[in-house]
Amino acid sequence: MNPLLEQFLSEARDFLQGISTKLMELEDAPDDAALMGELFRLVHTLKGNSGLFDFPEMTRVLHAGEDLMDAVRNGRVEYSQILADRLLNAMDFVGMLCDEIESEGAMGSTHGTDAARLGESLRELMQSADKAPDESSAPAAGTAADVETPDVQTSARLPLANIAEAARMEAYRRASAGDPLHWLAYAPDEQCFYQGDDPFFLVRQTPELLWGGIEARESWPPLADLDAYACVLDFGLLTAASRPELEEQYRYVIDQVTLTPVAPLALIVPQGDTNGGPVYDDFISDAQELLHAGDLAGLSRSVATMLELSNPELWVASALRWLQLVVESEAATAAATPAIVDALLESLHSMEVPNWEGVDATLLAGESSESAPAPASAPVATLSAALSAEECQALEAIVTAQRAVLSQPEDSGLLPGRIQSAVAALSGCLRACGDQTAVPSLEAVMAEALAANSGAALLAWLDERFPAGALEFTASDAQSPTQSAAESSLDHQSASAQASATSASAASTAAPPAAEGEVKFGRRAEDAIAGPKSLKVDQTKIDRLMGLIGEMVVAKNGLPYLASRAEEKFGVRELSRDIKGHYAVINRIAEEMQDAIMQVRMMPVSFVFQRFPRLVRDISRKLGKDVHLVMEGEDTEADKNIIESLGDPLVHIVRNSLDHGLESPEARADAGKPATGTLSLRAMQESDRVVIEIKDDGQGIDPEVIKRKAYAKGLIDEATLERISNQDAVNLIFAAGLSTAETVSDLSGRGVGMDVVRSAVENVNGSIALTSVLGQGTQLRMSLPLSMAVTNVMIVVSNDQPFGVPMDSVVETVRVPRSSIRTIKRSLATVLRGHVVPLKSLNTLLGIEAPHQPNADDELAVLVVRLGDETLGLLVDDFRETVDIILKPMTGVLASLSAYSGSALMGDGSVLMVLNVKEIL
Amino acid sequence: MPIEFQSDQAVLLDIVTVEEAETLLEWLQENPAAKVNLADCTHLHPANLQVLMAAKSGIDAWPKEAGLRAWLESALSD
Repeated sequence: MNPLLEQFLSEARDFLQGISTKLMELEDAPDDAALMGELFRLVHTLKGNSGLFDFPEMTRVLHAGEDLMDAVRNGRVEYSQILADRLLNAMDFVGMLCDEIESEGAMGSTHGTDAARLGESLRELMQSADKAPDESSAPAAGTAADVETPDVQTSARLPLANIAEAARMEAYRRASAGDPLHWLAYAPDEQCFYQGDDPFFLVRQTPELLWGGIEARESWPPLADLDAYACVLDFGLLTAASRPELEEQYRYVIDQVTLTPVAPLALIVPQGDTNGGPVYDDFISDAQELLHAGDLAGLSRSVATMLELSNPELWVASALRWLQLVVESEAATAAATPAIVDALLESLHSMEVPNWEGVDATLLAGESSESAPAPASAPVATLSAALSAEECQALEAIVTAQRAVLSQPEDSGLLPGRIQSAVAALSGCLRACGDQTAVPSLEAVMAEALAANSGAALLAWLDERFPAGALEFTASDAQSPTQSAAESSLDHQSASAQASATSASAASTAAPPAAEGEVKFGRRAEDAIAGPKSLKVDQTKIDRLMGLIGEMVVAKNGLPYLASRAEEKFGVRELSRDIKGHYAVINRIAEEMQDAIMQVRMMPVSFVFQRFPRLVRDISRKLGKDVHLVMEGEDTEADKNIIESLGDPLVHIVRNSLDHGLESPEARADAGKPATGTLSLRAMQESDRVVIEIKDDGQGIDPEVIKRKAYAKGLIDEATLERISNQDAVNLIFAAGLSTAETVSDLSGRGVGMDVVRSAVENVNGSIALTSVLGQGTQLRMSLPLSMAVTNVMIVVSNDQPFGVPMDSVVETVRVPRSSIRTIKRSLATVLRGHVVPLKSLNTLLGIEAPHQPNADDELAVLVVRLGDETLGLLVDDFRETVDIILKPMTGVLASLSAYSGSALMGDGSVLMVLNVKEIL
Repeated sequence: MPIEFQSDQAVLLDIVTVEEAETLLEWLQENPAAKVNLADCTHLHPANLQVLMAAKSGIDAWPKEAGLRAWLESALSD
């Protein structure tokens, strides 16, 4: 899992927690506008964050939540209990998605419906703002209810007649073979092209596509006014794919898609020239006879003959072809539905579109009276009609579980409990199927069973009510007038049915794990919540820990002093040895502890690197350059402060490379380089430092140009211009106020880049070096400390006072005979290994009057320090050891003393002032 | 180029992307009587399709690919 996603998940949890807390608070103070505003912001941010990832379901739900909260915030919708419930439910859903993403790395594809339903339930609150939302007119599924059943009337309203006859016939055949037919209308958003969508491609990829058509949403404007990039196309298509498949395919745009199941009968629309051609009365009566005699083969033959005789363009021919198809599929499935054929024959007679109303009723009636499964040739009322396949499975699972519970050997006093729980589960199922009327009979059976202390009565009832493999009953039941209500409450009810089924299993001793097929996202408060694996800690707390371990290190460093005192002053050598032994142990623990705390603050450089692919892409496109970005060592870690301070300098450098360094493809080709430039960002660890290298294979920096620029801007004088080395000239780009670009672009060239970069790097004790070969490229190397917590300093003594000098800047320590110190133009200098080293007195620099103390051999102590690219000798009295200290920056009035970079507490309790070498020289 | 503009015919080749729509639109504005040859087209972005629909361009050749042809016929034939 990538770190961005990890961070999102951990933040999302916080947000969800925050949202539910705010909702709870709002229950007590529903008019609190500030609280509402906060809630909105939480939802808004969470939505925004989720948009970064490929989780359309999550974003959709959150978007609906956001819109709703916005409406509430603006007073368009009133806060209510139901609103809170739905919002909490939606947040549970989001939480569940987060869990799933965390455990599986991706989101399951099955949540589209839930997301759409939740989103709709939230939006519904906005629409019905005026009327108080009615609990019983349950949300969401209301709209789904009438599309779930492929009834002929709904289907007839679809623009099916536009579909070519051949495609419709194919569809009818597929339906006869048991495939579900769906009409999918997709009206893409007008702005969708700007989001990189290709709706046409999407619809072309529809599974099991049978036919598709494209229509303009409105009539076309004159060509001159046409906006090619505002999508005004509507797509309509017929498919034999199942609903989940389609939802998966269209999951990004599910809100722009309407899915309607198509009744195969609605496809039978004869088309053609209605003029001419006799109405074959003889044929019709013959055909009706054959039909009633059950001679389908004969009927088929006579239809075929008839077809040969008629002009295929005619309406009659079309109707005949349909008749042939229907008869053939009837014959194939060996199930006669004479009503359809009858209706077709009738229409052939009347030359009108067949009237299916009667047929429909006949079919339904036929099925309710039979107990056999519905014939495959007439799927009008198959199970999938009322209950989705999933719901059906769940129902079956519940019923099977109850059977298992009831068939357990009756050997204990548990039976009444079992019966009761089974009945509870079953009545839940019945309610879910909208079959309330059966509940009393169930209760009667329960009373009977309890009286007899036997599950037999209930089992018998079950067998009667739910014969094995015949759940179609439920389907036809659901077709009853209570259908839509049943459907709308279905989701809630089946959830409760599940819950009672589960509790039923729990009540009985050894019930099979039956009804766990479907996990709902409605979590309850008592459910165990998986604790997050990472802690989010305020940085100040970590800083405090840092401070404490610093003090610990200091206190620990006091022990050696104590040991030497014990030995020297009190003469107890043994105690001294013991103290030293103990010190070693404490030292080890303290170091480990320090290391551990440091680890907490460590972050991978990918934190700053991850923004570059996008940045490089955008900038290079803008500049018309081809750039290949290579990143290495993203998992190299460094202290949080260091990493954070890297962000801006790196952006500057990368921009500079892209703008000034890499050439346009043409220029590159002319220079004999590959057209695509390479920019590499590498991070690596070198001992206790992190090194970041930014390298491009561009044109490099021309030292001559820099020199002239610098001279023109007055950064260097004429003499320097003459003798400056190429490397030094290149380094001039770090000088403030130098810009080499001829024109100022919005990317770089204002001359505020590289000097800012340098100071930012130096602020965190880093260094930056640049090498460039003209025509071959430029390389920048930043070296940064791993951590800023511990500073290694050398202690020097001057005028009996100890001072710390950071080891980073110390080059060497030498003792120089007083005789070899010369005075050149009032400043001191000495020659060290053939090089002239200017000398400065620390005492003078700090305003101390006293002269430096030479040692017994009349030598002065010189600390050679590096200052940028120069070396310089610092005259001091004596050198001491180097120590690791926790550098505390100066605070209060002392903060303005720039000569010191900070202070540190020493082991013996004294305070060590650490010099800021750059400032004092 | 996925579109070859000839004197009175635009030949769409392979995959015609969203970027082409603007060019196609301009070209059709200048050559309103031009016809379109889709024979070697395998997919075109709907922005292009919109342009063709709005321009009511005559089709010289339908795509060879049957799937695409069926879709386009629904949109482009009157």
